Amino acid sequence: MTDPARIRNFAIISHIDHGKSTLADRFLDLTHAVPERQMREQFLDRMDLERERGITIKAQAVRLRYELDGTEYALNLIDTPGHVDFTYEVSRALAACEGAVLLVDAAQGIEAQTLANHHLAEQAGLAIVPVVNKIDLPQADVPEAVRELAELTGQAEEAILRVSAKTGEGVPDLLAALIERVPPPTGDADGPPRALIFDSAYDAYRGVVAYVRVVDGQLSPRGRILMMATRLESETEEVGVFAPDPFPLQALGVGEVGYVVTGVKDVRQAKVGDTITLAARKASQPLPGYREPKPMVWSGLYPVEGDDFAPLRDALDKLRLSDAAFVYEPESSRALGFGFRCGFLGLLHMDIVRERLEREFDLSLIATAPNVAFRVVSAGEVREVHNPSEMPPPGTYERVEEPYVVATIVTPSEHLGAVLDLCQARRGSLEEMRYLAPERVEIRYLLPLAEIIFDFFDQLKSRTRGYASLDYEHAGHQEADLVRVDILLHAESVDAFSSVVHREKAAAYGRRMVERLRELIPRQLFDVAIQAAIGTRIVARETVRAKRKDVLAKCYGGDVTRKRKLLEKQKAGKKRMRRVGKVDVPQEAFIAALRVDRGPGQ
Amino acid sequence: MRPSAASADAGLYVHVPFCLTRCGYCDFNAYAGLSHLGPAYADALRREARLHAGEWAGVRFVSIYLGGGTPTTLAPEAIAALIEAFRGHFDVAPGAEVTCEANPDTVDRAYLERLRAAGITRLSMGVQSFDPAVLASLERIHSADSARRAFGDARASGFDDVNLDFIYGARGETLASWRGTLDEAVAIEPDHLSCYALTVEPGTPLRHKVASGRIPAPDPDLQADLYEAACERLAAGGYEHYEVSNWAQPGHECLHNLGYWEGRPYLGLGAGAHSFHHGRRWWNVRLPQRYLDQLGAGRLPIEGEERPDPAEAELERVFLSVRLARGVPESWVPADVARAYLSGGLARRRAGRFALTDRGMLLANDLVLALEARDC
Repeated sequence: MTDPARIRNFAIISHIDHGKSTLADRFLDLTHAVPERQMREQFLDRMDLERERGITIKAQAVRLRYELDGTEYALNLIDTPGHVDFTYEVSRALAACEGAVLLVDAAQGIEAQTLANHHLAEQAGLAIVPVVNKIDLPQADVPEAVRELAELTGQAEEAILRVSAKTGEGVPDLLAALIERVPPPTGDADGPPRALIFDSAYDAYRGVVAYVRVVDGQLSPRGRILMMATRLESETEEVGVFAPDPFPLQALGVGEVGYVVTGVKDVRQAKVGDTITLAARKASQPLPGYREPKPMVWSGLYPVEGDDFAPLRDALDKLRLSDAAFVYEPESSRALGFGFRCGFLGLLHMDIVRERLEREFDLSLIATAPNVAFRVVSAGEVREVHNPSEMPPPGTYERVEEPYVVATIVTPSEHLGAVLDLCQARRGSLEEMRYLAPERVEIRYLLPLAEIIFDFFDQLKSRTRGYASLDYEHAGHQEADLVRVDILLHAESVDAFSSVVHREKAAAYGRRMVERLRELIPRQLFDVAIQAAIGTRIVARETVRAKRKDVLAKCYGGDVTRKRKLLEKQKAGKKRMRRVGKVDVPQEAFIAALRVDRGPGQ
Repeated sequence: MRPSAASADAGLYVHVPFCLTRCGYCDFNAYAGLSHLGPAYADALRREARLHAGEWAGVRFVSIYLGGGTPTTLAPEAIAALIEAFRGHFDVAPGAEVTCEANPDTVDRAYLERLRAAGITRLSMGVQSFDPAVLASLERIHSADSARRAFGDARASGFDDVNLDFIYGARGETLASWRGTLDEAVAIEPDHLSCYALTVEPGTPLRHKVASGRIPAPDPDLQADLYEAACERLAAGGYEHYEVSNWAQPGHECLHNLGYWEGRPYLGLGAGAHSFHHGRRWWNVRLPQRYLDQLGAGRLPIEGEERPDPAEAELERVFLSVRLARGVPESWVPADVARAYLSGGLARRRAGRFALTDRGMLLANDLVLALEARDC
């Protein structure tokens, strides 16, 4: 075990693309943690998916050995997810630290996620080490970034470090500053053990690996542990640290950050935020801050091929072992057959799950339009509705509530008007506005979550020429005037296309879907009416005119083979269509009509 | 009186791949600037016929069809010699239908008279349109006047079985211009008309122009309007609509082409020609020079063959036979499919058969797919 006095636990927090992963790479270089030939960019982002998307999904912790003035220190770098879907995971990772590097791109200055993460770090009581990165860039404005960081953190400009994670300039000074400014961990070495689970991963051979920060006592292999929230007991198989490869140890003591091979087979049994103690020497109080993961965005997942239902179920069962935040329940749709209603932390999380299902399990999926979870209140009872088709008819309930968020937006002041217009149009109310600099403004808006999960981020970017940044946190529920819009094809409602939207926007939503579908549905033998309806009231209508010509003009002796092949292709295409009432709808139409624009962080 | 065809009766197709110029829409196996190969090519056709004679012994041929390309790029003597050779090698029925395609600009009265004397009984002329603007847009070299003159010459030469080919829906064509073409066509009283919707075929200059956006793709709804105008005008002129794109005065249906749709056997001679016999399909090399070389070496110029499996053969049978106005046996069509077509006015029942109406014929592919979907 390492003497707590020589341990520093810290995270790097920043806006996306401000250089967090590159800085982590430099730390690994300087501490010789990874042999040079194994070094590759963004070393800590392990999953292929992460590497491709250039983001970090799973927090990782790595122990770095660094000598300063003759003393060797164990620096535990805890990497945090960089996306708003994972705010709770970020807060748990920060709870495992005593300090944080607050990293700002010298060319960009403070952005929305800088503010949000700084806020989280302050709440966690961390020592903040402000750093301006990318000082080597020609377009860097180091003095301005320094000024903004000093103002945000209340620290003197001299205290702001200046580095280039790319070239390594200033990074040794940063390591020294971390050792000096971040306090060593403290805890009761002799008390009953308490360790915070700040992340977990699933290993196909060894089961759930919990990433932990030991607060009191110690954890050793072959101990009988207890998860205090889930009340699950199991036998520890191994404890150790990542350096960055797993390195087993005899024990993890006070202040240490490492892993525990828990012996459990389902990540749901080792939840982020839970406290590990010993069954035989139980702590009286868990560590504060545990929260059940709460899916915010729901969508139906259906196999493109009906035969793939069982493989999809198996894939979901496997995937849940490694993703505690993801939930699902079987459902069926008249249009799409058998599938699952799935809950996600946000749109990015939804994309990740879907991509993993398609990639790791070789499935081809249709996802229905995502929606937020509504609360329907009637006769004092509150029911959560995850699927638009479960929305009760108007008049049968007292009220509906929808989730809200507080969005933090940073924009150049020249685009302020456009941003305010956008937020107003999305039913927002302004909470706070302040100038970070004469030409940059921070705005805080209270907005319905449903209004920002679709194309809000794209809109924000396009209205500010890409300069605005966005972050948000959940802010409870509020009553809302919501209605269900149904889409009818040839008078048959297509449940997969139903959506619950604000009354004022219902007609516009209906029109948009109906217009989209008119382009996607092939002409049939008869006119196909595409309608959008609220209850029995039709709010939009388009017609796909009956096709009149579908024949080969010429067909003589030499054409038979070729034309037969043409027809065989058409036949295969027809087989892939789904029948809704009398109407043949290609899979592609479902996929394209239900496609959503992406959220922030993309 | 022409013979009626029994299911084992065959047709003989003879491909002449030479044209004076190539038209932008055409995807046939045809070449401009090779007409000088004509005599050698006619020789090779005779040789090819001789090589097939044994295998086709005992098969009665009820039709011969010289197509192209432009068969009338050959001298009439060469054509006469071909017909004579075919009659020598094969059992050609007395009174067989012997068609020759002709380009109005390649024939005059004298030529046509010699063609008639050579044993050609039926003439098929590529008129395409009587509207000069449409002819120009199709890149046809003849004029409306030369088409009219050629038709007159054909009649004067004794041809009492003449087809005129038309293409509708080219750029620049309107419902009015097409009606004008139909009126003129009916006025000169051909015995048979083929009217084809302009189709953008892969690999053609037209396809290239459409793909690159230089000209718009034909509008299927306008083509449907033009098709309906043809159905209406030609019915009024006494023509029977017996196949998707073919109309004839009673007794003037093209026996040879009916063979394809009825699934009768056929032997194709010439570059790129296709054949069908005993469930086997095969085809010749496409390039004229390779064709000449193969036959020069005494070999059949076959490039490939296939034997459709039962499902493929069934698909062929269905998609070929639904093209005909006489339709298919009612038993082929499941009740729910039949109901959809009958109620939509797309098909009718007659004497135990299920037949597409004029409007329904334009949707023949859809019916094929509906019938095929039932098998799986």
